[in-house]
Amino acid sequence: MKRSFRDFVTELEAADEVVTINKPVDLRDVSALISQSDKAVMFRNVKEYEDWRVIGNLVSTRRRLALAMGSTENDVALRFEEGVRRPIDPVLITKAPCQEVVRTGADVDLTAIPYPLMHKLDGGPYISATCVVSKDPEFGRNVGSYRLMYRTPTETGIDLVSPSDMRRYYQRALDAGRPLEIAVAVGVHPYELLAASYKAPIDVDEYAIAGGLHRHPVELVKCKTVDLEVPADAELVLEGELIPIGWTADEGPFGEFSHISGDVKWNPIFRVKAITHRRDPIFYLLQMPWENDWLCAPVVEAAGLQALRAASVQPVAIRAPVGACGYFTLIASIRKRAGEGKNALLALLSVAEVKLAIVTDEDINIHDPDQIDWALTFRVQADQDVIVVSGARGKHVDPSVRAWELGKGKLPTTAKLGIDATIGEGIPRKFHRRLEYYRANDVKLQDYL
Amino acid sequence: MTPLAEKLRIELSQRPQQFSELVDAHREVPWRTFLQAWGSLRAANILKRDEDGNYTV
Repeated sequence: MKRSFRDFVTELEAADEVVTINKPVDLRDVSALISQSDKAVMFRNVKEYEDWRVIGNLVSTRRRLALAMGSTENDVALRFEEGVRRPIDPVLITKAPCQEVVRTGADVDLTAIPYPLMHKLDGGPYISATCVVSKDPEFGRNVGSYRLMYRTPTETGIDLVSPSDMRRYYQRALDAGRPLEIAVAVGVHPYELLAASYKAPIDVDEYAIAGGLHRHPVELVKCKTVDLEVPADAELVLEGELIPIGWTADEGPFGEFSHISGDVKWNPIFRVKAITHRRDPIFYLLQMPWENDWLCAPVVEAAGLQALRAASVQPVAIRAPVGACGYFTLIASIRKRAGEGKNALLALLSVAEVKLAIVTDEDINIHDPDQIDWALTFRVQADQDVIVVSGARGKHVDPSVRAWELGKGKLPTTAKLGIDATIGEGIPRKFHRRLEYYRANDVKLQDYL
Repeated sequence: MTPLAEKLRIELSQRPQQFSELVDAHREVPWRTFLQAWGSLRAANILKRDEDGNYTV
């Protein structure tokens, strides 16, 4: 059975992971309130938005991410990879909850959506929990996730700076002097968001990956005003087009997933032609950084697993630490054959914008930072086990790449660092035997208390 | 342009400001009214940005 956004909220409530606020609250206070909670927060009485509920902090811990994934906390990457490896094509239906209310023409008004100001230095209110679909005549459908900054009741900015398939689609439309139709679904199950974040090959349908994660087809419905399909069970859908102006409109700053307030960027404009939503919609407020970071982690971890397998290296475990935003660092343990510490590093450093990779052996628990430190200390010789790659693809949110020195729409590069913390070739295993206490398994302190 | 939009325009002509500063200065205004006024400033195409992300006109 395909689970919806609301199903996931219900599951979180059942797991005592949601705080419900019934008192009236001003939308301008919602982000700060959410940031003070360890649990997800549901607002049932947002002033001026009586028809809406607002929820945030849904997956801002690994426990809640695991609940979303239906896996243990350490197995989210394997669970994600399983979905990627077994895609299930979506199905089209004709009647959808996300179109219970349809507003077009003069009825389009983005201020009617609880469009929140999240962070102090943001250039305006943002919607960030998006599943954005577009099509290219040659490459077909693409689904990604892009933030939308409020501009007017019918227009938003959209961050299309980073390399992506939709950026390519937009460039091709721009070259042809035509707009690019897009549709934005908000309030979809985390599986759809994860699939949208996954850097799939251009000919792979992200909806099929979401289907693989659900183990059930995603139901889609045709949009009302554009030739695109969106998840039928979404809470909210915006339909419209990216107008062919290139990277010329100011957008940002936005509190980035890197925990830093970003810079003003130059981006296209999204002109909204229709707003559709459920009759009793829930607005999903995904604010930075933690919720985004936890959502990044399984996507990057699964990409790391795939890269290792493609390099014929046998992974044991992998982790994208949330301290590096679940995005910039990969740590993996492998079942190593000679030379594979370096092969594994090369594979992991090929993943997206990962700029630090650490590879160690299967006896190291990579979920324990102390064990990682230990392996780095006793299995690494810096002149033999460290790789630096210069001039690889970087990401704007990383201040060390100096993106501000580039022109509008330009892409930054970065250096990448790999550390091979596996036992070096030729070092006898006996030098890595862990100490054990004499009779450790034969006596119990409890018996003497 | 609404009276609030005109007020925002005058405030920005006096000094560059972050979006949140403008929001803070008009907390008495309903959020939707504020967003509509901001939208009319945007539509008038008079907003500029400085290097710190402040808005100016």
